[in-house]
Amino acid sequence: MQLAVNIIVLAAIYALLACGYVLIYRVSRVMNMAHGELSMLGAYLLFAAATVFAHHPIPALIIAILMSISTGVMVYVVLMRRMTGEMVLAAILTTIALGILLRGLVVLIWSASEQHPLQSLGFTNPSLAVFGGARISTCAALIVLMAALVYGSLFGFLRFGRWGVRMRAAGQNPLLAAQRGINLHAIYALAWSLSTLTGSIAGMLIALDSGLDQSMVVIGLKAFAPALVGGLDSLLGALFGALIVASSEVLAIHYVDPLLSDVVPFLVLIAMLIVRPWGLFGTREELDRV
Amino acid sequence: MTLLDVQKLEVVYHRSITAVQGISFAIRAAQIVALLGTNGAGKTTTLRAISGFLGLDDARVSEGAIVFKGEHTENELPHRNTARGIVLVPERDKVFPNLTVSENLIAPIPHGVTAAEQRRRETLVYQFFPQLRDLRQRIGGLLSGGERQMLAVASAIMCAPELLLVDELSLGLAPVVVSELLQRLSEIRRELGLTILIVEQSAPVALEIADYGYVMENGHIVLDGTAERLRAHPDIQEFYLGRESGERRSYREIKQYRRRRRWYG
Amino acid sequence: MSSRPRASGYFRTDYAADYALLGTRSARIWVALFSLALLLFPLVASPFQLDLACQVFLASVGALSLMLLMGYAGQISLGHAGLIAAGAFTVGILFRETNAPFWLTLPASALVGALLGVIFGLPSLRLRGLYLAVSTLALHFVVIYIGGEYETRRGFSTGIMIDPPQLGSLSVTDGRAWYFILLVAAASTLLVCLNLLRTRSGRAWRAIRTHETVAETLGIGIAAYKLLAFVISSSITAVAGALFAYYRGFVSVEAFSLFLTIQYVAMVIVGGMGSLLGALLGAAFVTIFPYVIESALLALPGAQGFASMLFAVNYAAFGLVMILFLLLEPLGLVGIWRRIQSYFLLWPYRHRPAAGAHQ
Repeated sequence: MQLAVNIIVLAAIYALLACGYVLIYRVSRVMNMAHGELSMLGAYLLFAAATVFAHHPIPALIIAILMSISTGVMVYVVLMRRMTGEMVLAAILTTIALGILLRGLVVLIWSASEQHPLQSLGFTNPSLAVFGGARISTCAALIVLMAALVYGSLFGFLRFGRWGVRMRAAGQNPLLAAQRGINLHAIYALAWSLSTLTGSIAGMLIALDSGLDQSMVVIGLKAFAPALVGGLDSLLGALFGALIVASSEVLAIHYVDPLLSDVVPFLVLIAMLIVRPWGLFGTREELDRV
Repeated sequence: MTLLDVQKLEVVYHRSITAVQGISFAIRAAQIVALLGTNGAGKTTTLRAISGFLGLDDARVSEGAIVFKGEHTENELPHRNTARGIVLVPERDKVFPNLTVSENLIAPIPHGVTAAEQRRRETLVYQFFPQLRDLRQRIGGLLSGGERQMLAVASAIMCAPELLLVDELSLGLAPVVVSELLQRLSEIRRELGLTILIVEQSAPVALEIADYGYVMENGHIVLDGTAERLRAHPDIQEFYLGRESGERRSYREIKQYRRRRRWYG
Repeated sequence: MSSRPRASGYFRTDYAADYALLGTRSARIWVALFSLALLLFPLVASPFQLDLACQVFLASVGALSLMLLMGYAGQISLGHAGLIAAGAFTVGILFRETNAPFWLTLPASALVGALLGVIFGLPSLRLRGLYLAVSTLALHFVVIYIGGEYETRRGFSTGIMIDPPQLGSLSVTDGRAWYFILLVAAASTLLVCLNLLRTRSGRAWRAIRTHETVAETLGIGIAAYKLLAFVISSSITAVAGALFAYYRGFVSVEAFSLFLTIQYVAMVIVGGMGSLLGALLGAAFVTIFPYVIESALLALPGAQGFASMLFAVNYAAFGLVMILFLLLEPLGLVGIWRRIQSYFLLWPYRHRPAAGAHQ
């Protein structure tokens, strides 16, 4: 039973992080390799806000969230906007470079030691008892809740609205989208801010649950596998992908070898690439009439 | 009244290639105007200049003006021009390849229409192109050439245009399909009161539907006139419509032929 | 062969001249002078500078092979560090288990590299672009995992120590000896790459990179040439890894992180895609960069406070420089060099004629 709880928590973490990849890819065909670092930045922003507003959790949270959204918009406006129209490879490399830059900056500003924003905010993280004798920490339960909330709102916004179609259209043929009245810059900025927001929420919750240091980028990188397994431009796919990868990882750690935890997501990824490269629910992109 | 006024337009690619070298023309409301010419004459570039370049193309209007309903619109982003009512049906990449036909039709953002009006437009579009109604769930990239062109025109109509720019309608299509499309375009013009600027390599196709025409060569306008005059013009007949004007025997006539040909570039 | 502008009056009048590596007399003179400088360098260099030069040569081998794969064949690979690790670990494992000499371990590394090249290359038959990059990334992690497993299982948790290569009773420990060995390695890799590119394979790769579907309709066997690109590139990279293992005398999984892959990709990008000269320039740039940052940092007042942050400053500066290159000069250092060249050659014109504009 504890296994099931662990799977759900890990799946929620992966899902929250994966939807950030999906949002940006859907709209601009760019793989944001700096997502892990941006999520980590969000967590550090929360820590900074928490130290300034010690014991005033609500203003600290609000400020941290606002700062994350503006970071996302700034990253687009200052950096990625100049990359529209260039080769996708160049855009991906730019995000990789951005990730490296952020990693260095975070250590310079906040030092490499582990931080505990939970203490600064004045919260505690008691362990709750769930059915079947399993236990879950409060923060982990919050993560699951947030994942459900985020996905619910995103689905409402995208799937059942024209804007989901327009975001995909902008990703497929930016010039035509512009010629059909879609404001590309606005849509890209929107995607980047949403992506950074969801990533930062994930980062903040993880930091509250288990402390904060640079190892968070590893989780960000591993979360890339669920995004791809589900289909890079499908939110529903990200959800399913998160469940699949989380189950494989938790089961592998439990029954086979704890060291496998970093490799299992990539093994699942390779398997999916062999069988069905465009993922469970992604759009097949090899359609081009020469 | 003049809807579009192009004044001494110059367009430069890659900061070094002048594709359009100072052309001027005007379009009145509810007209169909054709831009004729061979490859590389600068017709598509003119259309793109009117609808707006995106940074991808490394092109810009370097001189001259484009005035639409009294406003200057040079070097604007495409979506702003679409909001003004200038909509382009491009030559290549004219549909969203991985969206279904119905998604292709709901993606465009029209200017200044209510949701009810938008739904009315959708029904209207399916009336104009009944084939599209049967293909609603088909993915755009899997359509045939003619169906794709129909979808492209339909999605342009969904933007509620006042000026419709059509680039190379007949490219890659069978003549039967082309005449059907032309018929629909005339119907659309009549129903919606559109103004259409159509660019064509195939002069017969363009002159079939247009009221007025301009002939471009090497970035200049070399000839213009009403459709009847152009059809009757001996040079157009010879160079664009392929009709021989009788055998050339004397040396003088060959010299004249060469001189006129040279004038067209 | 290329569309670069040349000074006027330069003509090729026979096939031999067309095939020659160094076409003009001035090119020959410059290369001769440069080679002389390289050969004489150890006489005047300090041990630190020798070590730096050795690192640059080592990096060049890896950069050249990655340039072959990415810049010419157009296949994106983010698994480079995994291949270097494979070569290094082959040496480590063979040395520890069987005490094999270097003239067995080096070819073994090449073989392991070729085998891995087939595995890394298989996805390229079905995937392109982003998906290919992702598959190579995933394979990188798998290779690292295997290496880590070996270390823990066999009790080498801090890494594997390797003796320097032996030739009879001589063992190579001297900095100068390493300089020449690595110089020869880099030079031979350069020659191999240059010649590969001038043959049928090189042309096939360029065709595949430009437009794969069209290349196929022209009768080029896409699958075979893609795999060939991966195999050759991985083989060379593994040998680079083996040399790295011998040079450092030490192999450990931590040295082969994702950051190493990104450093090599940066060498290719900063140097300039699609040019072997770019690979060399990029290798030199990226290798020397951290040392420049370090000296700049130490020159600032209040240096002691920064010393502990050196790693982070390196990271941040590296990311920043990479971004600047991608934004401002996507053609890399070679692009800058060509612009300077064009300026002088084309003066008083400012732009190249339209025919070459789309390159």
